[in-house]
Amino acid sequence: MISRRSFVAGTALTAASLSTGARAQASEVSVGVLFPTSGSGAQVGIDAIQAINVALDVINNPHPDLELPLAKGSGLPGLGGAKLRIVTADHQSDPQKGRAEAERLITQDKVSALIGSYQSAVAATISQTSERFSVPYIASDNSSPSLTRRGLKYIFRASPHDEMFSATMFDFLDGLKKAGQKVDTIALFYEDTIFGTDSSNVQRKLAGERGYKVVADVKYRANTPSLTAEVQQLKAADADVLMPSSYTTDGILLIKTMSELGYKPKAILAQAAGFSEKALYDAVGKQIEGAITRGSFSLDLAAKRPTVGLVNAMFKAKSGKDMNDNTSREFMATIVLADAINRAKSTDGAKIRDALAMTDIPGEMTIMPWKRVKFDENGQNNDADAVLLQWLGEKFVTVYPTELAIAAPKFPMSKA
Amino acid sequence: MATGLAIPQSGKDAASAFDRKRRLKLLTGLAVAAAVACLPLVVTDVYAQNIIILTLLYAALSQSWNILGGYCGQISLGHALYFGTGAYATTILYTKFGVLPWFGMIVGGVVAAAIALALGYQLFRLAGHYFSIATIVIAEAGLVLVNNWDWAGAATGIQWPFVPDSWAVLQFNPRNKLPYIYIALAFASITWLTTFSIETSRWGYWWRAVKDNADAAESLGVMIFKSKMAAAAISAFFTAIGGAFFAAFVQYIDPESVMNFQLSLLMALPAVLGGIGTLWGPAVGAAILIPLTQVTRSYLGGSGQGIDLIVYGLLVMVVALAKPEGLSSLFTSRKAPRA
Repeated sequence: MISRRSFVAGTALTAASLSTGARAQASEVSVGVLFPTSGSGAQVGIDAIQAINVALDVINNPHPDLELPLAKGSGLPGLGGAKLRIVTADHQSDPQKGRAEAERLITQDKVSALIGSYQSAVAATISQTSERFSVPYIASDNSSPSLTRRGLKYIFRASPHDEMFSATMFDFLDGLKKAGQKVDTIALFYEDTIFGTDSSNVQRKLAGERGYKVVADVKYRANTPSLTAEVQQLKAADADVLMPSSYTTDGILLIKTMSELGYKPKAILAQAAGFSEKALYDAVGKQIEGAITRGSFSLDLAAKRPTVGLVNAMFKAKSGKDMNDNTSREFMATIVLADAINRAKSTDGAKIRDALAMTDIPGEMTIMPWKRVKFDENGQNNDADAVLLQWLGEKFVTVYPTELAIAAPKFPMSKA
Repeated sequence: MATGLAIPQSGKDAASAFDRKRRLKLLTGLAVAAAVACLPLVVTDVYAQNIIILTLLYAALSQSWNILGGYCGQISLGHALYFGTGAYATTILYTKFGVLPWFGMIVGGVVAAAIALALGYQLFRLAGHYFSIATIVIAEAGLVLVNNWDWAGAATGIQWPFVPDSWAVLQFNPRNKLPYIYIALAFASITWLTTFSIETSRWGYWWRAVKDNADAAESLGVMIFKSKMAAAAISAFFTAIGGAFFAAFVQYIDPESVMNFQLSLLMALPAVLGGIGTLWGPAVGAAILIPLTQVTRSYLGGSGQGIDLIVYGLLVMVVALAKPEGLSSLFTSRKAPRA
């Protein structure tokens, strides 16, 4: 009967937290943060919260050496120096839970805005909730293009979506072609969940538009135990560029299978995900010297903008890792939101939304390789650029776009 | 079972005692439904109301599962297939052809029942564990198929259009969850009433006979195959209705969220925890499990430590150890089988 009693006690406790948790102090602005912190996406979610905590530090405490909005002073001057605080929630990568947690954060914790959510499927339900409650939602790291194409007024995305990412990849190929390289055929290799499906659809379309021949179009089951048949197809096609869209474990299996079957692709141009994870290069980095992945963040930028290095150091002190594709975007999303709340001079969702719509932050005031942060009528920032990073000599080197590149790309990668 | 049934002196007495008991059960059901209907007057917080809706939904789903799994004894771990069928049929009919979800819901139910019959025709030749394994495999195959079905959105899923609130398309202001609560309550009540009326029908007796000893039942003239088929079809029909409701409620579906194997477990778990093959088992199980998962995740999750899952797992284990026959046995009287 212990079980019954403890259950009752638990319920009572919850009831208590329901009544006290609601009141936020006037000198604070609450923001709801939705990430998966348990289940398969847990590590990403935990890293995200750390990145956002670094952003809170930047906003709430004086950092005279950082060139970022709100960094120099402490708190939000537009709200009398109010501090930004976050309330985190776990959506376990489930769209239904994402929606329920967004509602809870809005109605119980009275958050003024939301940030999330890694998975685009969860972003779909969070954005509908935010719209219905008139509370702005910053899609920090979701790359599905459709999210900002539904005529919603309360969703904002500062970072590029899949089409923009893929366009950069094809711009790069066009440039190589112009420089006299042989780049005529490509092979698409992608997993069968939302990420791989979206990515390959865009790449197939762009390849058609820009006159590349898709000689292999290989879809595989995510987390499959074997890729032998798939790699045989890739080997037979032997395209000029192999374009994989894979998460970490599948990416490692792909590389291992390729070397077992003696297939050395002429070039790899990856849609980030597994190919921007350190774990993949720890496992098979030697076999894919020269692989290129798109990214939304480059540490090489630190040479031009000291702020990038300083923020990275702050993050590294907390997490023991360098900032990556995801954490940099989550950090920046928080800064962009804080900037808007500050200008809105209000914690009211509709006012913050209007301030977000007026956002105009120059690229130099971010840690990203973006021209600026300025949202179109759908809440998408079209001035966000992607970068291409090449794995050379045990580290990533920015090779594209040219103005950010610190080295010329090695192409084809198998070149001696 | 072991304690023999005491036979009352006259059949008339027995019949009236039986009727009285049935009437009492029905009144209890009515009282519970009425109490739940009044709950939103006290519980006005939308988050808590959300938990009420999910609890009612899972009570209904588990009640549907219980018809096949509990009464007929055919343990299916592939009910996510029927849930997904309902969700996808409703969503596709609505988003692609403009058919109102109320109608799509019924279509989904009928399609799911047809699938259950087609599968049952093959699967009911398998007994016990083999049947359960086959249901898992087929549901997984269904998931892979939908994941690769481009016209149905494949892995990307389908979003419901964003439209003004209306009963016709089942979309309501999120601050007002009452319509969803009452729809879910109606759904739970219908599945409860179905189980209640079937319990004492010929089918109900046949199912329990099939469950206890199929060979003995057959020798007494029970049509085993037909019994199983009927149970499977009814069970699948209601499960699909639940899927349709879920799609309207969440307004976004993808294969992982409506056809995942975990869903099959979540439908079976309340019945198992509350008392498998009993009228109140699924509702009792859902009333404990669903609030527990939601509340532990919301107030203990988010830390990234997984404490919520540990607490949840522990409580399920404690219940299973303390009351292996199901929690609803706490409410049944302990007196001798016959007064």
